[in-house]
Amino acid sequence: MVAAAPTAALKVDRRAGKYLAFQLGNEEFAVQVLRVREIMGIQEITAVPHTPNYVKGVINLRGKVIPVVDLRLKFGLPEIEYTQRTCIIVAQIANRSSKLLIGIIVDCVSEVLTLQAADIEDTPDFGSGVELPYLLGMAKVKAKVKILLDIDMVLTAQEVMSLGPLGA
Amino acid sequence: MARRSDHKTMSVEEQPAVSANPLAGDPELLNDFILESREHLTSIELQLLTLDQDPGNTEAIHAIFRGVHTIKGMAGFLDLDSVREVSHEVETILDLARNGALEITGAVIDRMLESKDYLNRCLTELELMLQTGQPPAATDQAGLIEGIRSLSTGGGVLQLAREVTAAAGEPSADVAGVPAPGNPEAAKVMEAKTDGARSIKVDTGKLDYLVDMVGEMVIAQSLVKHDPDLAAGLRPRLARNLSQLARITDDVQRTAMSMRMIPVGQLFQKTGRLVRDLSRKYGKQVDLDLEGEETELDRNIVEELADPLMHMVRNAIDHGIEMPEERVRAGKSATARVRLKAGHQAGHIVIQVSDDGRGLNQEQILRKALERNLVPPGAELTETEIFNLIFQPGFSTAEKVTDVSGRGVGMDVVRKQVQKLRGRMDASSVRGQGASFLMKLPLTLAIIDGLVVGVGQQRYIVPIFAVREMLKPSKDAISTVQGSHEMALVRGALAPVIRLYQRFNVKARFEKPWECLLIVSESSGRQFCLMVDELIGKQEVVIKSLGDTMQNIPGVAGGAILGDGRVGLILDLEGLIDANDRA
Repeated sequence: MVAAAPTAALKVDRRAGKYLAFQLGNEEFAVQVLRVREIMGIQEITAVPHTPNYVKGVINLRGKVIPVVDLRLKFGLPEIEYTQRTCIIVAQIANRSSKLLIGIIVDCVSEVLTLQAADIEDTPDFGSGVELPYLLGMAKVKAKVKILLDIDMVLTAQEVMSLGPLGA
Repeated sequence: MARRSDHKTMSVEEQPAVSANPLAGDPELLNDFILESREHLTSIELQLLTLDQDPGNTEAIHAIFRGVHTIKGMAGFLDLDSVREVSHEVETILDLARNGALEITGAVIDRMLESKDYLNRCLTELELMLQTGQPPAATDQAGLIEGIRSLSTGGGVLQLAREVTAAAGEPSADVAGVPAPGNPEAAKVMEAKTDGARSIKVDTGKLDYLVDMVGEMVIAQSLVKHDPDLAAGLRPRLARNLSQLARITDDVQRTAMSMRMIPVGQLFQKTGRLVRDLSRKYGKQVDLDLEGEETELDRNIVEELADPLMHMVRNAIDHGIEMPEERVRAGKSATARVRLKAGHQAGHIVIQVSDDGRGLNQEQILRKALERNLVPPGAELTETEIFNLIFQPGFSTAEKVTDVSGRGVGMDVVRKQVQKLRGRMDASSVRGQGASFLMKLPLTLAIIDGLVVGVGQQRYIVPIFAVREMLKPSKDAISTVQGSHEMALVRGALAPVIRLYQRFNVKARFEKPWECLLIVSESSGRQFCLMVDELIGKQEVVIKSLGDTMQNIPGVAGGAILGDGRVGLILDLEGLIDANDRA
């Protein structure tokens, strides 16, 4: 892969930092630690009607009601039964003006990584027509590739909202 | 002079950075100023109305003076010249009145009210400027100032004036117990002291959060109390401590709730001005009677109630109350009475708006309802049913109906608003004796009484105010219309059945209506049955929003934390029946 253009140098710097790595199927993903509020075990989720299938419902986070999204379903992976290792990552996502908390269901959380700018590469070109706005880049850690996610882009509030009525 | 100062005000606000006064453009200070001035203006209006009734009330004059003076001081501090000038003129007049040099007449009150309105407009514009960054439109206060000045030079002045001009030039501030202008902070402190009220301002967001958290605490407390492990080995001491905790939580909840409550009097007093203005406009003589002003209501409700209440008072004066001659002919006193009454009734707040005017005209209401196809021809309606017709949407929409319709201009809008607050409305009237409208409202919007119902694995909360009855239907009470729409026979009337599991796409335990529970409820005047598996219980719940992401889900009004810490969805019955119409 061709190295990032000079203009991208700043961007690479911005991407460096601590990441929380988690697994979905065979793939390893990571999100910026700064966005993660807490990690909790799977718990009972109240289904909300008329929402897309990857919106599992809402949970009670110390008196606050927050939506929960199954990242497997969001990424089109087959649904699996939740286990002891299944986790809900509570992340803060920014949406135009407001910030909101969202729970993200992942297979399991593995570790916190510190990534240097040099570890991070831009997303390879998968050919025309494939747009992956929610990928921040790829990181190589101990010969394994981790996909860095831009959590704001993965779950935009508009998306959850606009799909609402169609789920009926 | 006025023109010049206007220009100056604008330039200051446009370029706060280059202003000689570094504080003039500070948004925080301006916001404080707006907030505080609004409070002063409200109390000024109130005092003016008192003064209108009782011109000799020097206490009221002093109170108005203090308010105007504080506004003037702050405005001067912030370089808001138009505000400062007008309040200065008003202050001059008040000072004359205070010294007995000017008689308080209706004209004086009119002018003062006008000035108050002007100042209020200035504040609104200032607010707009803070939000949008647009400089305020140039307002012309020259005419107003002239008007105020003419009061002191006109016939109103008694020739007692000794050193009036000197006093007017720089009103002796210490008389009013207010320090010199230019120091609003000190003025604020003094004001608080003279008012004697010990209160602080708290962000309503924080208050809402506190109430939310207290709600959670109550639930957590009940979780602990009913924990089976704990109940098994309950020792007397533990039991005692637990019930002590329960008592404290209860107290804390009550206190937290009461912090959001404000007396309904504030709302009532707003109508005082309306009554005065309208009665003058129509040449009617109206007295406003207030009762139960100290009754407390959730501030959210009070805010939402302002418009409906104004509307009803306007209706009463506009359509209900006759001209003085007509009243005398009917053997009533020439001065009519509009009465606002608030009180508690069985866990609800009841607000009554009544007048002693001509009352509702049953025949005319019925005729109009027939014209508009709101009732089938030949229908036998009781008196109450006829009066309730005026709340029907479309009862008075197209033409501008006034006396012809009896009453009821826009009453559907009023009822809708009241229903939005989970309240209900009733009308009653005696022909020729007057009409009365009754609003029944919950104490707070934060908590509702709900029925917890189960559908399959899911649990939902049905707001109890919408529930008429619950029943397990017999097999032959269920019929199908055109093979698709299910109807249930409830007390001789057919009501559509809404299968909640179908609507929400969940798996139910029972799919035959006669195995299920039907919750009969009413929304927008239509009856329908909601089909659920079972009734689990009744619970008071704290209403929570599902967040920005899930705001407009049809049939869901919000969420609530149930006794076991899980989230239950609160159903929006209106949304459910609306969706049923579309289906």
